[in-house]
Amino acid sequence: MAEESFLGDDFLRQLMSVGEVDLLVGVPTYNNASTLGQTLYGVEESLRQNFVRERAVILNVDGGSTDETRQLFMQSAERSDAGHRGLTSLRTIHRISCEYGTAPSHGLALHNIVAAADLLRAKACAVISPTTTNLTPSWVVNLLRPVYRESLDFVAPLYARSRFQGLLARNLLYPMRRAIFGQRIREIYCEEWGFSGRLASQCLEKDVWREEAVRARPEAWMAITAIGGGLKCGQSFVGPKMAPPTGTDIVEIIRQTVGNFLWCMETNQPQWLSRSDSQPVPTFGPDHELSLDGIPPSQEKIFELFRSGVSELEPILASILAQDTHAQIKAVALSDRSKFHFPLALWVRTVYEFAASYHHTVLNRDHLVQALVPLYRGQLCSFLLEHANASAEAMEAQSELLCREFERQKPYLVERWKLKR
Amino acid sequence: MKEVIIQGLRQAYSNLVHMFAEFLPRLLVMLVIVIVGLLVAYVLRAILRALLHVTRLDRLSEEAGASRFLRMAALPSMTELLSRSLFWVTWSGFILIGISVLGVAGLQEQISRLFLLLPAIFIAILILFVGLVTANFLSRAALLAAVNAGYASPKLLSWSIRFVIWALAVSMALEQVGVARQTVLAAFSIVFGALMLGLAIAFGLGGRELARDFLERNLSDKKKVKYEEPQPL
Amino acid sequence: MQNVPAPPSVISNPQQENSALILQDENLWYKDAVIYQLHVRTFCDSNGDGVGDFRGLTGKLDYLQELGINAVWLLPFYPSPLRDDGYDIADYTSVLPAYGTLQDFKDFLAAAHNRRIRVITEMVVNHTSDQHPWFQEARSSRDNSKRDWYVWSDTDSRYQGVRIIFPGTEMSNWAWDPISKSYYWHRFFSHQPDLNYDNPAVREAMWEVMKFWLDTGVDGFRLDAVPYLIEREGTSCANLPETHEIIRDFRRRIDAAYPGKMLLAEANQRPADIRSYFGNGDEFHMAFHFPLMPRMFMAVKLEDRKPIIEILEQTPQIPDTCQWCIFLRNHDELTLEMVTDVERDYMYDEYAVDKAMRIYLGIRRRLAPMMENDRRRMELLSGLLLSLPGTPVIYYGDEIGMGDNVYLGDRNGVRTPMQWNGGWNAGFSSADPERLYSPLISNPVYGYQAINVDSQRRSAHSLLSWTKSVIQTRNAFRVFSRGSIEFLNPSNHRVLAYVRCLGEEKVLVVNNLSSSAQAVELNLQAYKKHIPIEMFGRNLFPRIGDLPYLLTLGPYQFYWFRLRRI
Repeated sequence: MAEESFLGDDFLRQLMSVGEVDLLVGVPTYNNASTLGQTLYGVEESLRQNFVRERAVILNVDGGSTDETRQLFMQSAERSDAGHRGLTSLRTIHRISCEYGTAPSHGLALHNIVAAADLLRAKACAVISPTTTNLTPSWVVNLLRPVYRESLDFVAPLYARSRFQGLLARNLLYPMRRAIFGQRIREIYCEEWGFSGRLASQCLEKDVWREEAVRARPEAWMAITAIGGGLKCGQSFVGPKMAPPTGTDIVEIIRQTVGNFLWCMETNQPQWLSRSDSQPVPTFGPDHELSLDGIPPSQEKIFELFRSGVSELEPILASILAQDTHAQIKAVALSDRSKFHFPLALWVRTVYEFAASYHHTVLNRDHLVQALVPLYRGQLCSFLLEHANASAEAMEAQSELLCREFERQKPYLVERWKLKR
Repeated sequence: MKEVIIQGLRQAYSNLVHMFAEFLPRLLVMLVIVIVGLLVAYVLRAILRALLHVTRLDRLSEEAGASRFLRMAALPSMTELLSRSLFWVTWSGFILIGISVLGVAGLQEQISRLFLLLPAIFIAILILFVGLVTANFLSRAALLAAVNAGYASPKLLSWSIRFVIWALAVSMALEQVGVARQTVLAAFSIVFGALMLGLAIAFGLGGRELARDFLERNLSDKKKVKYEEPQPL
Repeated sequence: MQNVPAPPSVISNPQQENSALILQDENLWYKDAVIYQLHVRTFCDSNGDGVGDFRGLTGKLDYLQELGINAVWLLPFYPSPLRDDGYDIADYTSVLPAYGTLQDFKDFLAAAHNRRIRVITEMVVNHTSDQHPWFQEARSSRDNSKRDWYVWSDTDSRYQGVRIIFPGTEMSNWAWDPISKSYYWHRFFSHQPDLNYDNPAVREAMWEVMKFWLDTGVDGFRLDAVPYLIEREGTSCANLPETHEIIRDFRRRIDAAYPGKMLLAEANQRPADIRSYFGNGDEFHMAFHFPLMPRMFMAVKLEDRKPIIEILEQTPQIPDTCQWCIFLRNHDELTLEMVTDVERDYMYDEYAVDKAMRIYLGIRRRLAPMMENDRRRMELLSGLLLSLPGTPVIYYGDEIGMGDNVYLGDRNGVRTPMQWNGGWNAGFSSADPERLYSPLISNPVYGYQAINVDSQRRSAHSLLSWTKSVIQTRNAFRVFSRGSIEFLNPSNHRVLAYVRCLGEEKVLVVNNLSSSAQAVELNLQAYKKHIPIEMFGRNLFPRIGDLPYLLTLGPYQFYWFRLRRI
């Protein structure tokens, strides 16, 4: 019996009308009627100004919006065609829209986008989020151009940040990823990125789209697939990163990001077990931009959560960590807040022991990832205490130090990973 | 008299031989049934083992935390446990059928009663096992969520959940095998009800202020002052 | 393009009615014309001097009749120093001796009319050659009676900022006359001084010229460079209201004395500006649709119908008695004046990579080389030319796929001798090859040995045979020349589809602009229950129903369907 296809007939018909393209820009939406107009303007202007001769399509994949987002998308298409009758664009910029489900899912949205990219044989693609309210035409071209003209396969964005933004990325995700997979890409957990048709085709063939790790953070999985597959990756500066409109749930974010990363490690072992150092990647624009704005968050609460976490989760941590690591963490948790310091070496060893325990499934994997949250808070508190008034250079230096520590201790990770239980 | 005795002995001997002659076929049939049962049990064990390997039951069991209990109880892995259980259940069944073929009076009735009870025992064991695993999983999930959210007394919450699920599982298991059914049911209801009443009174009396604060915070328009996590990504 | 209504309404007296209808319809002959553009010099040499002439052209009229065209447009054949291929006229009422005599012309005209082929000639109204007696007189002295027939100035600072039409060759619109020691105005080459139409004598003189040729029997004039007749300070010196008054005057006189004669405007302007040359049906009968032409080429390269749709949607409605004149190539460069810089760069990069192919903001190549000798693309563009609204003009040699020579000066690379056969001088002339007015195209791909009329006549499947059958099909259905157009705009942008309607006659035209096979679903709800009949093979296609009509087309393929309701 033939397997059900996830591509609807209407979507396929629209793809048929478009035909082969050079550029594809995917815009996943869910109830984004208020910001979609601005996003589309940025995308269209970018295509008109920078890719005059290229065949392009803007693809909206919608998760069942109830505020007429899709209708708005198609209406803006008609208005745009009429407004540009001054013959400024050589070609039709195609616009197609599909509904992939009745509830939003990053993974499903990307699945449809890569399927379209593969079927339309797009050379360069980008995913643009309608929630990025400060998007300008330069964002789109900065993500597309390295793929289209420099033949990169994955282009991560680089943001201008204030110094207390992105601390999870800075203190855990980036250094760990750099050490494990050997490429110095700062951001793979992002709302907008660029990728090649070649990478899209490879991702489409993989039968992992139902995995929770892929559904939660498909862009990160895509990046690691590119890195692991030996494809060319790079990063390109886009602009300032805005804070999300609603508050952040660190637990949920760590579950998604760290959970996704550990799963990627599990499924890409040959690609990282033997790798020993890290290499820089082609970078377009400034490598990073750190402003000194931002008030440091309250360390008192963070420290309290760390300490209570270490104490309350003792049996769980005991099953995850090595005895001496656990003992050191308990000792650190008992220290005075004013003199609190979570050594980098200890933090790195902790993270690696978590990774190895994940591999050996010492307990439910999602629970294991959640157990990391208080320890991350401890490290964060230590970082904030030491860098509340630090300069941008000092913060970068610390970041580099942490990266090197992750790289230095990688053999320890490999040893624990391969341990027979 | 000598002839009577000899005749009697001859008669008894003949009866014995006759009994043996009658018993022997049934014994043979019983042995055949048992041997066939053994073979069938082996085959079923092999099939189930293969099936469970394919579905990766051991991995699921590890993740659910069930494997830890098995190791603590010095039991083999889940796949092995289930396969062997199937083997013994199948063979026991054939053995019991074989014994019933022997035609020993009184034994058949006991055997049939045992047969009737077997499913219930099996289900009860299963309920206990599932209950243990669920309790472990949910209590740990609650503990982690409470710790990460900064709630007070996360361990209490975790233990409460574990206790409730255990109590439920034990009651269900006992009810299943029919041991003191009414007593167990009544005891469970009383304890559960009392616990809920106690909690209500405790919260109602002791948590008045807390409840008022909670309602005020969530239903009023006053701006909430809340701990804001720094933007992680 | 807007709707063109059905033929004229009924008149009361039946006999008078028929003749009136016939007369009215005859007067609109240009709407049904398929025009063949040629230069007498390039077509056929009868006397072995290496230059084509009228006698030779007369001898080839059978070929033109066989081709199916019904009008011929002749490039200037008047006495001229030939510094601009005859557009620099030294005598308006004679024939250049190399082309023959006035009698030869009249014989040609009669022979053409016998074959029901009309003849359109050039009327270069804007300027003369500096060798013309009028200019010779005008420059001889400031007091000469013809001085004011041209535009003079003591300085070159008048009419500042006016666009130079031949940049790179001309530095200014003023040229210094050393004889009368003053400047004279010329929008084209400096040896082509502009006539001064503010002087009524000029207008009368030009009317006399027109009368001369109308009296010989020519059927119409193409008025060259018509936007530039009048100059005014502070303007672009183009498309001025006074120019239209002059045209209206000429038109009134022609309608009064020579009904049924046609005026065709050469005005390389945007659609809205060209519209003014139709007036209220009291100026030109026809005008070239310059902006459409490059966009047809663009659409095929882009594989997107957008350029064609956009320009036709911008094309204004014209009076019922008027008609657009559409073309693919002509004797000039493929002009890119009326496109944006982005579009021009694209056209250069796609069609004129070699800078030798570019001249005067245009491309000096023929159709076949631009299509890379791809038969399918040539057929597609010809199909578009013959099915879009307007009177089509076919440039000589394009019906056999002639090539060009971009290394000849100016635009002479597209004006090489007609290739009749693979023999001596391609059958064009019996003269020594060195004596020919222009070298033949002789490379292995487009050379006369490979591309010529005789060899293509022998095959029923040659480009020539194909062109004949398409023209014949077009001529059989008036809907192409007089019908309205409705664009279907299917979701597949590589397909250009439209329906031509004239009364009950309906034709569906579907064109695949791309190099790959395409599927297209057409919304033909308005034609439900009609049966499409493919017009070349006359085969029936499935009846139109409720669902979108699915068609598949091969690379560059097109369909013409008659939609019949039976």
